[in-house]
Amino acid sequence: MAVDRNRLERALNPKSVVVVGDKGPGYMWLSNMSEYTGALYSVQVDPNEIPGIEEKNIPNFSSVTEVPGEVDLVVCAVPRQIAPIIIGQAIEKQVGGVSMFTSGFAETGEPDAIELQKKIVDACVESGMPLVGPNCMGIYNRELGVKFSNQQEQGSGSDLGVISQSGTHGIGISLGSQRLGMKVGRTISIGNAVVCNESDYVEYLIDDEKSPIVAMYLEGVKDGPRFFSALKKLAQKKPVVIWRGGGTDAGARAAHSHTASLATDTAVWDGMIRQSGAIPTESLEDTLDVLAALVHAPACAGLGTALVAMTGGQSVAITDQFQRAGFDVPELSQKSYDILGEFFVTIGGSYRNPFDAASTIRSETENLEKILEVLAEDSNIDGGVAIELTTAGFDKEPERLAAQLDLLAEYRTKTNQPVVAMMPEGGAVSGQTEVVIAARTAVSAAGFPVYPSFRRGAEALARTQDYWSWRYSL
Amino acid sequence: MTSLTVTDTIITQARSEGRSLLSEVESKNLLVAEGISVTDAQLARDATEAVSFAESLGYPVVMKIISPDIAHKSDVGGVVVGLTDSDQVKSGYDEMMRKVSSVASTAKIDGVSIQSMAKPGIEVIIGATTDPQFGPVMMFGLGGVFVEVLKDVSFRVVPLEPRDAKQMVREIKALPILEGVRGQDGADLQALESLLLSVSELIERRPEIAELDLNPVFAYSDGAIAVDARIVLHSQDGV
Repeated sequence: MAVDRNRLERALNPKSVVVVGDKGPGYMWLSNMSEYTGALYSVQVDPNEIPGIEEKNIPNFSSVTEVPGEVDLVVCAVPRQIAPIIIGQAIEKQVGGVSMFTSGFAETGEPDAIELQKKIVDACVESGMPLVGPNCMGIYNRELGVKFSNQQEQGSGSDLGVISQSGTHGIGISLGSQRLGMKVGRTISIGNAVVCNESDYVEYLIDDEKSPIVAMYLEGVKDGPRFFSALKKLAQKKPVVIWRGGGTDAGARAAHSHTASLATDTAVWDGMIRQSGAIPTESLEDTLDVLAALVHAPACAGLGTALVAMTGGQSVAITDQFQRAGFDVPELSQKSYDILGEFFVTIGGSYRNPFDAASTIRSETENLEKILEVLAEDSNIDGGVAIELTTAGFDKEPERLAAQLDLLAEYRTKTNQPVVAMMPEGGAVSGQTEVVIAARTAVSAAGFPVYPSFRRGAEALARTQDYWSWRYSL
Repeated sequence: MTSLTVTDTIITQARSEGRSLLSEVESKNLLVAEGISVTDAQLARDATEAVSFAESLGYPVVMKIISPDIAHKSDVGGVVVGLTDSDQVKSGYDEMMRKVSSVASTAKIDGVSIQSMAKPGIEVIIGATTDPQFGPVMMFGLGGVFVEVLKDVSFRVVPLEPRDAKQMVREIKALPILEGVRGQDGADLQALESLLLSVSELIERRPEIAELDLNPVFAYSDGAIAVDARIVLHSQDGV
C-alpha cells in the first residue's frame, strides 16, 4: 500500500490516543499509558469494564466517533469479530492510524479468519488509513510515553529505533537496550504487517530523527525488491542491525540448476543483508552486543586497538579475541614506551600492548590517566581501547570505578575512538553476584558498551568498525 | 541489434517447442551473443558434422551429448574430452551414441556438441536463480566438493554493483585457493568479478531467464572462461 506518510507520522507520534476494548482487572493497555503525555481516551461498551476505566479518570466513550477532537492513534484490543466495526469507526473519525493488538487472523490459516483480515485490509487501503498489525504489540514512543510494556521508559532523547515482526522480540530488544543504558526512541511491533508492511516502516525510518540507529527483527518480507532497496537507503544513512529469525537451510526447491538448489532462504537473506550494508545478527544477545557498540562508541574505522587487561593470562586471552575478530594490536611508539617505562610496574606486569596492568592501576587511578594520555598521543592506536574492569571492592568503594570511567570518557572525547569495557567472569570480575551485576550496570549507565566476554566484545566492535569503514568509503 | 536477435531466436524457438530448459549449445550461443566469455559450442547431428566442426575449431576438442532428456551427461557416458584428430572424433561419436542409447534408450538425442578444449584452470561456479522473496539473485562459489558438500557459496541480489562482485568472490571460505596456494597460480579475481557483473547485467536485460549455471568456469591467472552452461527460462505465463 502507498501509505499516507502524514497519517503514519500521526499514528507513530500521537498527541491523542484512544484505547478500544481494554479489560480489567489489569487494564493492560490503559496502564501501559500511565506516563503518556498526550490526551488519553477509552472506548468500551461492556458495562462490567467501564467502572474500572472511570476509576482511572480516563474518559470513556461508546464509539471512536464520539471521542472529542482529533485522534492520532487508536489502540484496538477488541475480539476479532468486532475489529471491522472499530476500523469502520476509525475511518469515519479520520484518525491518524490504528494499531491492532487483536489477533486470530491470517496467521491462524483458517479461511474465515483470512476473510476477516481481508475485510479489514480492504477498508484501510480504500480509505488510506495506516494499520499497524494486526496481531502485534503496536507502538512505543519514548518521548510521548506511548508504551506496550509498562517497563518501557518515558523520557527525552533517543539512541535507536526498533522494528520487530515479533512482539516478544520487540519487547526484548527495547528492554534489553534500556538495561544496557541505551535510549530506545521508538519501537514498532509490526505483526502481520498487512496494510503497513516492513518496507513502509523502513522507508519511514530513513528520515526519522528518533531512530539514529535502527534494529530489526524480521522473519520474512512482503515485497523483497522494495524492502531491499529501502534497506539500502537506510543503511547508507544510519547503522542498521538485522536479526533474521526463522531462516531455513533446506534446499530451495526442486530445481534444474545447481544455483537454485543452493539458494536456500538463509543463504539469500545473508547475502541480501550484507549487500544492503546492514549488519546481520543471529540472536537477541548478539543484536544487543552490536547495538551497545554502535550506540556507546563513536563512529570509528580504525583497526589499531590498545588492550588493557588485569593479568597476564587475560592479556593473552583478550589479544586472541581481538586479533581473531580482525583487529591489530600494534606495538606502541618508542616515545610511548619511554614514558610508560617511567611509572609502569613491570614486576608482574607489562605495557607492550597488550597491557597487563593490575599492579599499576589497581590502586593508583592516576596511573590509568597516564596510560590513557600516552595512548591518546600514540598514532598507532586509531581503533580505540578495550579495558578489563574489576568489580572487586565496588560494593564498598564505587567511586573508584566511577573515577576510572571518567578518565575513559575523557579519552573517548579527546580521541573520538571507542572505549569498550570488558567484564568477563574470572579474571578481574569477582565478588557477590549482586555486586558484579551492580558494577556492570554502573558501566552501562555511564554510557560504555560492556561485555561479559572478550569474544563478544571483540566481535561486536569488529562489526561496527566494518560498518563505519564501509560508510566512510561511500 | 544482432545480439538481441540471437537471444530472441533461441528463446522463441525453445518456447515454441514447449521447453524451458535450453540445451548446452543454445545456452552457450545465447551467452556468446550477450558478450559472456564461454567456450564456443556447435551442435553436430552426425559424425561427419562433428568432424567438420572439430576441424574448424582446431584440436583437441570436447564432445558432449545433446538431449533434452539427459540432465547429467557424464553419468550416461555423454562426455568425452581430449579428442585430438578426426578419427578420434568419428569413433568417439559412434561410441557415445552406442553407450547413451544403451543406458538411456528412451532419450531423444539431438546430436552432440563439439567445442574446443579449454586449458584447465581453477574451477568456479557462477550462477543466477529467482528467489521467491527477492527475485533474481546471483551466486558464486568454488566448483566440485566446495559447492556440492560444503555449500561454500555467496549470494547477492541482482543488480550487482562492483562492490558486491568483489565481496562475493572474497566472502567464500575457499578464497585462499583462488588466491593461489603452494606455489600455484592464483585466479584472476578481477576477471571473475567482471564475469559476475556481466551475468548480472544479462539477467537484468533478459527477465525471461529464470536460472543460469556457468559450471564450471575455468579461472586462470589471466582471465576466466565458462566451459559449461545451462539456462532455464521462466514458464511463458510466468513472465
